[in-house]
Amino acid sequence: MNNRIKEYRAKYNLTQEELARKVNVRRETIVFLEKNKYNPSLKLAFDIARVFNSKIEEIFLFD
Amino acid sequence: MKKSVIIFVVAALVLFAAVLWMLSSSGDFKTNELGSFVIIFLLVVFAVFIGFKRLSSARRGEPAEDELSKKVMQKTASLSYYISIYLWLIIGYFSERLDYETHTLIGAGIIGMAITFAVCWLIVNFRGIKNE
Repeated sequence: MNNRIKEYRAKYNLTQEELARKVNVRRETIVFLEKNKYNPSLKLAFDIARVFNSKIEEIFLFD
Repeated sequence: MKKSVIIFVVAALVLFAAVLWMLSSSGDFKTNELGSFVIIFLLVVFAVFIGFKRLSSARRGEPAEDELSKKVMQKTASLSYYISIYLWLIIGYFSERLDYETHTLIGAGIIGMAITFAVCWLIVNFRGIKNE
């Protein structure tokens, strides 16, 4: 599974730390997500999508 | 925060016990004992590193523990437990053949388990968790 978190983060002008605080995870988790080293839980995926006012499938892409 | 403090307290106790052991046997501190002390010291450094990571997350206003860190710990624990079973099996097999006292072997096993945990944590952290 790939994601476009980095792209959306740049679009919304958010740092990794700010996004982490908004979805209540550590900055390291955002780093892992952007590097595709971690697939998030459904709740975290929903939280991230909500921050970017988008649908989950727009941010998280299945190969 | 509470867990971070526990990590620091346990690390300090382990270091204190190791220094006490080193000082009590100051006359004949052999090479393998020095090796054990260095390994214990490195494990304490590892514990302090994890404690500081948790504290710095808390200071930034982030949770000290989240779903990724919990999953990393779970995977590390299961992996190191699995490897430790084989470690004890090997120690049990060689205990008959090597001329070491029982307490030395138990000490080696415990240090081996701690090293296994630290190495597994590094591997899991480096590789990440994909759940695929």
